[in-house]
Amino acid sequence: MSLASDNQIIILGIETSCDETSAAVLVNGTELRSHIISSQIATHQKYGGVVPEIASREHILHFQKVVQEAFTEAQVGFNHLSAIAVTYGPGLVGSLLVGVAGAKAIAYAAGIPLIGINHLEGHIYANFLTHQDLTFPLLALLVSGGHTHLIYFEDHGRYTVLGRTRDDAAGEALDKVARALGLGYPGGPQIQKAGQTGDPAAFDFPRAMLEPDSLDFSFSGMKSAVLNTLNSARMKNQTLKTEDLAASFQQAVVDVLVRKSVLALERTDAKILLLAGGVAANTLLRETLEFELVKRGVGLYYPPPVLCTDNAAMIATAGYYHYLAKDFAPWTLNAVPGLSF
Amino acid sequence: MKYLSIDTTTKVTALALAEDSKVIAEGFLHTNKTHSERLIPMLDQLLLAASWKLSDLDFIGVVRGPGSFTGIRIGIATAEGFAQVLNIPVIGVTSLEALAWAGYGRDEEIVPILDARKNEWYTARFRWSPEDQLECLTQPCAKTHESWLEELKRLDRTVLFVGDAVPHYKDKIIKFLGARARILPDYLSLPRGAYVSCEVWRQWSEKGFSGTVEPYYIRLSEAEVNYAKKEAEDRK
Ligand SMILES: [Zn+2]
Repeated sequence: MSLASDNQIIILGIETSCDETSAAVLVNGTELRSHIISSQIATHQKYGGVVPEIASREHILHFQKVVQEAFTEAQVGFNHLSAIAVTYGPGLVGSLLVGVAGAKAIAYAAGIPLIGINHLEGHIYANFLTHQDLTFPLLALLVSGGHTHLIYFEDHGRYTVLGRTRDDAAGEALDKVARALGLGYPGGPQIQKAGQTGDPAAFDFPRAMLEPDSLDFSFSGMKSAVLNTLNSARMKNQTLKTEDLAASFQQAVVDVLVRKSVLALERTDAKILLLAGGVAANTLLRETLEFELVKRGVGLYYPPPVLCTDNAAMIATAGYYHYLAKDFAPWTLNAVPGLSF
Repeated sequence: MKYLSIDTTTKVTALALAEDSKVIAEGFLHTNKTHSERLIPMLDQLLLAASWKLSDLDFIGVVRGPGSFTGIRIGIATAEGFAQVLNIPVIGVTSLEALAWAGYGRDEEIVPILDARKNEWYTARFRWSPEDQLECLTQPCAKTHESWLEELKRLDRTVLFVGDAVPHYKDKIIKFLGARARILPDYLSLPRGAYVSCEVWRQWSEKGFSGTVEPYYIRLSEAEVNYAKKEAEDRK
């Protein structure tokens, strides 16, 4: 049985850049027929972070099964596909290569085009899957464990990076502080949880704004301020409330992200802000942005939590727009671990 | 039976198209490019030259290790991707078994050595019996260069060395084994599609399809080794 017909554009999305093996079948850019995510979080937990070689080994063990499940659930076959979209960077090279090799083989055997997707672009495109009323120009704030970017989109495929982090990504800083506070991995959600009962004004951590006109970020110094506070308390045999530290640090990170976003909006004609990436699931960030943006008549959009973390649905969605632009990859497509915007 | 054989476990991308025991087309690339960049374009050329379509294949053979961890996974992901679309089986062979075909029919023991970094080789001992049967004399393992050469020296047999480590370690091998060492020219010693094809056909004729193909790393990842060490120490 097949639900596919001739005039549909059906994209298989594949994502293996870090520790999730994911495949999704997307019809006409908005109808998500299936979405399978096999997470490795439990495997890496005892190492305190993602171990690249172990991640790659898990990917190859699960890849075929995840793809098969995506097809079964979508009730389509390989012969219905229009194209395959795969993340080719940035990410862990060994992990990326499993997805790239698998996607290429499927595309080649099925006789359909291959589309290489920048993982960062994928995160932002999660918004196009869930919101049908997006109009250009728009601004995107991408915040995750590996990246912090402010990007201005004129149209699909036409964008300018306005600012990026000069050191730690926001999520990375949250991870490191969570580890120092003994809260475990992954750090962002743990900080948020601990911070719920803490006082965000208990500690006045610095808000690194850099040069007055800069839209770049710097979280490394902010992270160090927390570590220094912890250290000097330890030397004095004082105990600080973990909840207060978590709440105060989270507040500092959110303040910087919001202030820079507002600055970027003031400088452009964008009337929409897309929030994307793992940290987009942070409630304080969403609420603070919402509060600031409503005053300025700017719409805030973010994907549901399952589409904020790494997933193939966002890759398939980005793939759909590349497909419309006939932007296909050659068979020589390689993984690019350090791919940037 | 028509089948494709794939070996991406070393720096060589090796492919072969074969029909039963007859190799129809062979691809060998030992350039500075990656498997990702070479594999599908090379296959495309081979199919064109042989006037075959991918959909003609009855099954796929792939080298599942030991060798480069990343290379092992590229080979398996590619083989499984083809197999999934074409709905055909995949059969996995080891890189060492495949290389034993470089010494087909010879009297010496065949010892493939593959670069395993950390001063080690992936290796095993093989022999072609008088009835032309391939016999595996030891389990595949990772051994330091010196300890393995010492072990072979003590056995006091004539040994034919094959594999991607041979070109780099010729002098060392001869230093240890002298006239008991036999070395082939590089082009015969490196992984080849035809060798893989021969081993794939041998196993397919004997056992047929034997289930899903799992990577054969021999080694644990470094993180797992360190974690086990730490746990053992903590227990003390
Ligand atoms: Zn991501």
